[in-house]
Amino acid sequence: MTDELLRAPQAPAGSSAPPLGAARDLRLARGRNGRLARRPAALARRLALVVVALGVPFWVDGYWRSTFAFVLIAAIGALGLDVLTGWTGQISLGHAFFLAAGAYVGGYLGGHLHLTAALWIPAAGVAAGILGAVTGPAALRLRGLYLAIVTIGLVYIGYYVLETWTRFSGGPGGESLPPVTFGSWNFANGVTVAGHTFTRSQCYYYLALLLLVLGTGYVRNVGRSNLGRSMVAVRDRELAAAVIGVNVARTKIRAFVISSVLAGIAGALYGSFLSFAVPSDWGLLLSIQYVVMIVVGGMASTWGPLLGALFVVGLPALLQNVSTTLTFLSNNGVISPGSASEVVYGVFLVVFLLVEPGGVVGLARRLTRWVARRSGYPAPRRLAAATEGSPARAGAGAGTDANAADAGPAAE
Amino acid sequence: MTGTRALEVQDVSLRFGALWALTDVSFDVGEGELFAVIGPNGAGKTSLFNLLSRVYDPTAGRIRCFGEDMSGMRPHHLARAGIARTFQNLGLFPHSSVLDNVLAGRVHLMHAGAVRAGLALPSARREEARNRDAAMAAIDETGLGAYALHPVGALPYGLQKRVEIARAIAMEPRLLLLDEPVAGMSRDERGEIVDLVRRLHERTRVAIVLVEHDMSVVMGLAQRVLVLDFGRPICLGTPAEVQSDPHVVRAYLGEPAPGHERGTPGHAEAAP
Amino acid sequence: MTTFVQLLFAGVALGAIYALVALGFTVVYRSSRVINFAQGALLALGAFVTSWLVLTEDLPFWAAFVVGALLTALVGLGFQLGVVRFAIGRPEFTIVMLTLGLAAVIGAVLPTLFGNYPRGNGDVWGSSALHAGSFEFFWVQIWTIVAAVVVLLVYGAFTRFTRYGLAMRSAALDPEAAIAVGIPLRRVYAIAWFIAGAVACVGGVFLGGYPSTVNPTMSNIALLAFPAIILGGLDSPTGAIVGGFAIGVIQELVQGYQPEHAPWLGNDFYLIAPYLVMILVLLIRPYGLFGSKPAERL
Repeated sequence: MTDELLRAPQAPAGSSAPPLGAARDLRLARGRNGRLARRPAALARRLALVVVALGVPFWVDGYWRSTFAFVLIAAIGALGLDVLTGWTGQISLGHAFFLAAGAYVGGYLGGHLHLTAALWIPAAGVAAGILGAVTGPAALRLRGLYLAIVTIGLVYIGYYVLETWTRFSGGPGGESLPPVTFGSWNFANGVTVAGHTFTRSQCYYYLALLLLVLGTGYVRNVGRSNLGRSMVAVRDRELAAAVIGVNVARTKIRAFVISSVLAGIAGALYGSFLSFAVPSDWGLLLSIQYVVMIVVGGMASTWGPLLGALFVVGLPALLQNVSTTLTFLSNNGVISPGSASEVVYGVFLVVFLLVEPGGVVGLARRLTRWVARRSGYPAPRRLAAATEGSPARAGAGAGTDANAADAGPAAE
Repeated sequence: MTGTRALEVQDVSLRFGALWALTDVSFDVGEGELFAVIGPNGAGKTSLFNLLSRVYDPTAGRIRCFGEDMSGMRPHHLARAGIARTFQNLGLFPHSSVLDNVLAGRVHLMHAGAVRAGLALPSARREEARNRDAAMAAIDETGLGAYALHPVGALPYGLQKRVEIARAIAMEPRLLLLDEPVAGMSRDERGEIVDLVRRLHERTRVAIVLVEHDMSVVMGLAQRVLVLDFGRPICLGTPAEVQSDPHVVRAYLGEPAPGHERGTPGHAEAAP
Repeated sequence: MTTFVQLLFAGVALGAIYALVALGFTVVYRSSRVINFAQGALLALGAFVTSWLVLTEDLPFWAAFVVGALLTALVGLGFQLGVVRFAIGRPEFTIVMLTLGLAAVIGAVLPTLFGNYPRGNGDVWGSSALHAGSFEFFWVQIWTIVAAVVVLLVYGAFTRFTRYGLAMRSAALDPEAAIAVGIPLRRVYAIAWFIAGAVACVGGVFLGGYPSTVNPTMSNIALLAFPAIILGGLDSPTGAIVGGFAIGVIQELVQGYQPEHAPWLGNDFYLIAPYLVMILVLLIRPYGLFGSKPAERL
């Protein structure tokens, strides 16, 4: 059997031959090697990544420091939405609702009750998660468009509650939200460790980076597990999934809960970093921005949420920055940076959905395959790539056709 | 006949609006038996399977599986009850690899949840490895070893059908429902699938109910055959009995035209 | 009693607009199974263009109305031809997001082109009203109802008595069969979007009538029309119309009575009352009151 594996297998006519790396991958699939081989190139790449991630806050100015902090915070939220929509296929335009829940619960616990952030950040996640567990069952009976519409309703109801319940949210005038504090460390004043002072933005940046890495690791583990496979099954063919034993209802509810916990944590950090929020901050536009993040970034992929957040948060910041030189792009000019960003979001959303549903991650994958084919080497195929059920990974020609065959209730 | 029957279908009827998909269907399948349901297109075979998969509720009649009444079951209870099913239109997840598709069949056997799996605890990892081995065994049995990591959507149709079978095997069923396993295949591919099913049956002694409308496949495999026509059972017996039953012949080949009855000069011998 | 009748009338007028918006949704959905989340944006576009033509370019109202409707219809058509057409067959999620993309673009472009402030819709009725006894009915609201009824009747006749209407119904039932009998699907979809745009403009212009204005947040009205179509079911025009009027009436009655009788619910409870009704209905009947569960082939 081993000999068969080591020789390149013969493929029947009509299929593409599995690349040479598959033999090694198969041995891994059979559990013969415990860990992925440490090739020097991969290690160097990872090291470079870590250096960049840790170093960025020191290399850029204050404006971009806070922008990148926002990017990382948004990426946590995008990660949550990805679990719900990218992995489990549930259309949700209600993400703003859970972000808001996290922000205000965190704000109340940290600001009014003066708890440490080590308590109120997780608590915000838990509170949002409870809301997710409550709204999840409502989503069970609804498919596709109906679900999307109900989630819009959720955002509006949430917005209304925030405007009305002034004690909790400060009403339409808004409320200031507390900074992150861990014991004697108060992010608002900067934190001094071993003689070096980290600015406010840097503190939030590193905290968000830590939570993003932990969250991504968690989602990745889930993706490779039973639950992840169930989610993909529910996304791709819900009825068949049930027949092979997937508990569709439980899977959906779990997806809602994981998604809203992450949104709660992101919302709490976001509110805290903003330090002030009004109810209108948490409207439908925010939900749509998160959808743009996961679509443009690449759904059900490791890097998608971060890349998407980089695009959605970074673009207005970039436009704002250049508005001093390109005056038509300013608030007094032809079009404000905010509106211009919205136009770009819309266009990119449309373009990516039509051309590359796998987002930037899918594009990158296509590019590596194309380059590899050109240079004559088979494209590297990591075990992880094959076992993460992402549309961004579907082979050329696969994917949307099979998906289109039964796109939920719209199919007959 | 001792012991529980793998499947008991009693006087089952299924109606969609004004259309009776199935009328008064009764049969049973013994443990370890290889049973076939055949009939022309539209005979109600897939409706019957959808009933057995609890996608529909019967309009009348009762279905029992290993002695247990199925009317209380939802589709996701089937796996735990030991029933696995393949789909005519392929119930595979196109973006996932073959291995992941087959592993998906083992969800009812795995217990690590959002917490244990998400934190990658050792117990979860061990469970995953165990089930991965079982899935690979099913994949090897269906001859798909080389494609374990391919995304299923990129595979040709014939291989995709095999993935369905591999997944059904991985579910460790007591009753296997195969819905037109050789539809759309070439002659060689058909032969391979037939061998696969026969080997599987010999190895595991799982009860198999096979829906087909290719007579030759059925005749080679089945121990007993039920013939449906327009939702009604018209014959139940061994392959040999069924093949020579005049009602079955008429259902498949139609009435001979006037002047073309057997024995008249205009009559041509029709191939079975 | 006076209050009740006034509220009821206002509700019917508002419901007429919802019915128009809902009709716009249903037309597109019935023919191509696409929910156009940009319907509200098209509505705002129609209102802004028409009001601009009257107030800035000094066109007479009816001429501006026609031009505005035509332009909005062309935008809808253009979006269908340029974008949606390439996404037919893709998962619902994709198409929903595409329409949201259009909504975002229109939403950002409108204030840029026309300015970010509220303005009148340029109609000929202004704030004039019909006085009957102790009742006061605004002319613009009366004409809203008339216009809506006319549009609905014309549309009904179109679907029932013309070839293209029939073609649209067939396309909705089974696109593949429609192609097989020679129905030009692309043309049908294009017509559907064209109609949706025109209907949106009618709704928008009347929505901007007294005492309301044409303003950048108008597009949100479409979101309030969702409860209407949910109530009626996505694939039933009758249901959409019934739902539209129902939601309008509910909203006005709540706006009228809630501050007195249940002030603890907040100041503007009428804004979310339709959503609560919608969620309640969906919990009981997931496909709306009149909608039907689509069959899924296994």
